[in-house]
Amino acid sequence: MVDERKTWAKVISTVVFILMEIAALSMLKHSGSLQDIWVTKASHRVMAWVWGGFDSIGHYFSLRTENEKLAAENAMLTESLRRSQDKVQKAMENGLLTDTTMVFAGYDHVPASIVKISRNKQHNYFILNKGYEDGVRPQSGVITASGIVGIVDAVEKHYSYGLSFMNTGVSISARLGNEGAVGPLTWDGISMDGAVLRDIPLQYKYAPGDTVWTSGSSILFPPDIPLGIAGSSKVVNGAVNEIQVDLFQSFTALRYVTVVSNAGREEIMYLENLENEGEE
Amino acid sequence: MKDTRFLIHFLILLLVQVCIANFFRLSQYVMLSILPAMILLIPIKRGTVAALFIAFATGLAVDLLSDGLTGLNVLALVPVAFCRLGIIRLVFGDEVFARKEDISIPRQGLWKMSVAIIMAQSLFLIIYIWADGAGTRPLWFSGLRFAASLAGGYLLSLLVAGILAPERTGVARR
Repeated sequence: MVDERKTWAKVISTVVFILMEIAALSMLKHSGSLQDIWVTKASHRVMAWVWGGFDSIGHYFSLRTENEKLAAENAMLTESLRRSQDKVQKAMENGLLTDTTMVFAGYDHVPASIVKISRNKQHNYFILNKGYEDGVRPQSGVITASGIVGIVDAVEKHYSYGLSFMNTGVSISARLGNEGAVGPLTWDGISMDGAVLRDIPLQYKYAPGDTVWTSGSSILFPPDIPLGIAGSSKVVNGAVNEIQVDLFQSFTALRYVTVVSNAGREEIMYLENLENEGEE
Repeated sequence: MKDTRFLIHFLILLLVQVCIANFFRLSQYVMLSILPAMILLIPIKRGTVAALFIAFATGLAVDLLSDGLTGLNVLALVPVAFCRLGIIRLVFGDEVFARKEDISIPRQGLWKMSVAIIMAQSLFLIIYIWADGAGTRPLWFSGLRFAASLAGGYLLSLLVAGILAPERTGVARR
């Protein structure tokens, strides 16, 4: 009984102490500009620590779901690898391929996590927990097993800032079907898993349900990443088709991504610069 | 009677602290304060919550009646009140609580009282100087200010202990 009273007394005095210190900090914050900045910065640090803690707890309880996703992704990758190996084997048997390294070379992969992402704007962005010390470079693509997430725009030591695909200023080169027409794919500006594939020539015939892939004709993304399923279309200016695409990658629950950087990017850009200088 | 006498002495010392804060600014390196000793010497029968409220009111009074930043003395003094019983237990032992006697220089000795005052004063000064500088002062400046203020504050606090101690007011238990 005495112990219980002592415990309660300690709890009450601790609560009163914390409340009084908060009151003192509040008074101090409003009495000097230096103190205002100091208290604000300290409170931000505390809030970041608290929210980081909640975030970690949330991730801990979502590990089961994440594991299931990773297992599914692993199975898909294993199957994809096996199919690729079969193709390479056949190509080598037919004498079409002598060096296997050229099949897989071209892109560096850096696994990363999204630490912050915006979804409710027209120009959405995300921040990754990897920076230039981890090998991330500006103008790298960000992908998942289900599609593309965006483009890295700026890189710091340990963090990167990227433009989300849910950004009206982002456009990627996409291909309709296995060997179909190529056009720019942009976010539809409305839903979290909707996009529009533009400039598809009218003569190109397609069926709703065809898969849309990355074309590989830009230096940002490797070719043949499945992006989504083609849906309805409409003719624009009587010249080209505009096709609605249901993306595989939904932006509602997104955490683990892979940053892909074209290993030959510098050489390609150098050649482009030479070409531009020649035109000038 | 004893409580009334303590209260009167406490209020007088509060006014003394206001005068020190307004008129005795010796240097930017010295910040004299007797507030930690005043809180430390609150009778033991008053619990931590009561000490917290006294510290809050005392710090606020000094803040409002002097030219300094409002909330600075409150911020530094409330932790002294929170740690007061812990400091007393650490320095003077559990027997002080068992006998329910108040601390004083004649009873516990100058050495132990000095240690307790220095601990309370240090806690107060660390928070005060840290918050006053708001992270903009260099470490050497804060360290020098801490050492000079601790030395000055310690000497003044010994006087405070003499004034607030029960033996000096003629109500000693022994």
